[in-house]
Amino acid sequence: MRILVLNWRDPAHPLAGGAEVYTAEILRRWAAAGHQVTLFAAAVAGRPAEETVDGYRVVRAGGRFTVYRQARRWWRRHGRGHFDIVVDETNTVPFFAGEWVDDGARTVALVHQTCEEIWHHNAPFPASYLGRYALEPWWLRRLGRGPILAVSESTRRSLARFGAGQVRVVPEGFAPPPMDAPPAREPTPTVVFCGRMVPYKRPADVVLAATIAARTIPDLRVWMIGGGPQLRRMRAGAPPGVEFLGWVDEATKHDLMARAHAHVATSVREGWGLVVTEAAALGTPTIAYDVPGLRDSTRAAGGVLVPPEPQALARWLVELLPRWMAGDFEPVPFGGARPWDEVADAVLAAVSECAHAAR
Amino acid sequence: MKVSFVVPTRNSARTLDTCLGSLRAQTHQDVQIVVVDNASTDATVDIARWWADRFADRGPERSAQRNHGLRCATGDVVVFLDSDMVAEPGLAAAIVDRFTGQSELGALVLPERSFGTGFFTRCRVLEKSLYVGDDRVEAPRAFRRDVIEALGGWSESLVAAEDWDLADRTAAAGVGIGRVDAWIWHDEGRLRLAGTFAKKRYYGRWIDHYLALHPDGRRKLVRTALFRRPLWLLRHPLLTAGLFLLKATEALALYLGVRDVQHRRPVPKAA
Repeated sequence: MRILVLNWRDPAHPLAGGAEVYTAEILRRWAAAGHQVTLFAAAVAGRPAEETVDGYRVVRAGGRFTVYRQARRWWRRHGRGHFDIVVDETNTVPFFAGEWVDDGARTVALVHQTCEEIWHHNAPFPASYLGRYALEPWWLRRLGRGPILAVSESTRRSLARFGAGQVRVVPEGFAPPPMDAPPAREPTPTVVFCGRMVPYKRPADVVLAATIAARTIPDLRVWMIGGGPQLRRMRAGAPPGVEFLGWVDEATKHDLMARAHAHVATSVREGWGLVVTEAAALGTPTIAYDVPGLRDSTRAAGGVLVPPEPQALARWLVELLPRWMAGDFEPVPFGGARPWDEVADAVLAAVSECAHAAR
Repeated sequence: MKVSFVVPTRNSARTLDTCLGSLRAQTHQDVQIVVVDNASTDATVDIARWWADRFADRGPERSAQRNHGLRCATGDVVVFLDSDMVAEPGLAAAIVDRFTGQSELGALVLPERSFGTGFFTRCRVLEKSLYVGDDRVEAPRAFRRDVIEALGGWSESLVAAEDWDLADRTAAAGVGIGRVDAWIWHDEGRLRLAGTFAKKRYYGRWIDHYLALHPDGRRKLVRTALFRRPLWLLRHPLLTAGLFLLKATEALALYLGVRDVQHRRPVPKAA
């Protein structure tokens, strides 16, 4: 099959995140299975406009805001007539492939998460309200006229609220990190947080919860892993016991996660929350805020959901940490997600079954 | 000691999964979950069947659902929670601990915290924090089985104020009422004045009936607890203003609800 995937970021983009890992893993496997796969994304400084990565072709043009127009232009000049299926991988702003693919190729959207509350964290004041209450509902309503694939039940429900009826849930994937022998757990109660220091991940909630919990568990330690714009300020104001480690490489991250007794996740919203899956595969249980996305990954990983309040997180930590320190939490195979081979097959099957001819 | 949680539901899909998940995750081993639904049309039934040990469908109102849950429950202790509540993992253990340690206690108050989004929810959180420890507002939710059976369960003639009614009857029967340290977290969602108004007006229909049953119940309607910690209010002037607007709205709604009955107005469909 000839497949075109549209995503504003490709895996080489400096801001690439979980959605791009997902894209890279499935495209690589589709290409290996003999499909002709092209990924269209925004330009990346120092990267060519066209190259082949892991067997699939990457075409780059445009920036954060112009990539959508460039995609359409590229389609008119080079794409039309050369593809069977177009996948509109939506990261807040859809490409609306369903509205302009006009050669009979079938289209389907792939949505990791809706933006909603995150608008207030990522955009300045008037734009955030415009985005959350006008633009996004309008975009999703238009997108919802065609078929959509969602990576979690939470995302499917969010899309349904915007009127999308034909939404199918595809599995989330995970590859267990290579690790010879799991490191021994820390002797003192240790909690790990892993995420960028940005408002929508709410690292400040973790620090506050740690301060409250430390009144009952005086030797509590918290490792805050991740870089980000707020790192320096938060590090300067860190209370005793809370350590900001900044960005660390994958191996160090996995080592720290495996040595901690509990992992905490406090985002406003996620598509799935892969970090929960990662922790569970390393045998570290998660206490997560009960929000869309984290709800899905935490349930699948055998973790615990709490009301999204620092006080609640602190009370659950005080209650559960001593138990988790006493008896080890068993590692969950694939952290509650599926192996990537299975995901690639499932998404391909869903894409070919759900995609509709645009016109 | 086996603890049975009885949860009545009606179109509760938004909060039910977290509620029942928190009951399944109790650190106390011997826990039973009983869900009594009332003709839900959303995903409530699927969620309930996934978590619950016993599932039943019963109407017409919350008290009847809870009484049916009591009949289905097999625990030595029966705890009545709502579908928008999240229990801390040590709740069942704390209840068992209190009942085994103090044999004179027959019922327990479970302290409540509110959470949710939006301005009026934050006002409500402030309000609830002022009530903690006030036995005029707090009602017991955990009972020894023989105690709740002897009390005859929940009053099915009341749709609202049934918790006060049961609290009054528990106290009148001379049952010892204690409290635990573990909390229940009440998900208020996004509280809106209009929604609160409609709900309280509906509840107001049973206030007269409740006051006829308990003549001294009037004092529960006067929330002096709100003024117990004036410093807390002064520290949050905006929330305090919102809180009094919220309480004024509720008072008006209850008053209109009482009048609705006196004027024999029909029950609105939406309720």
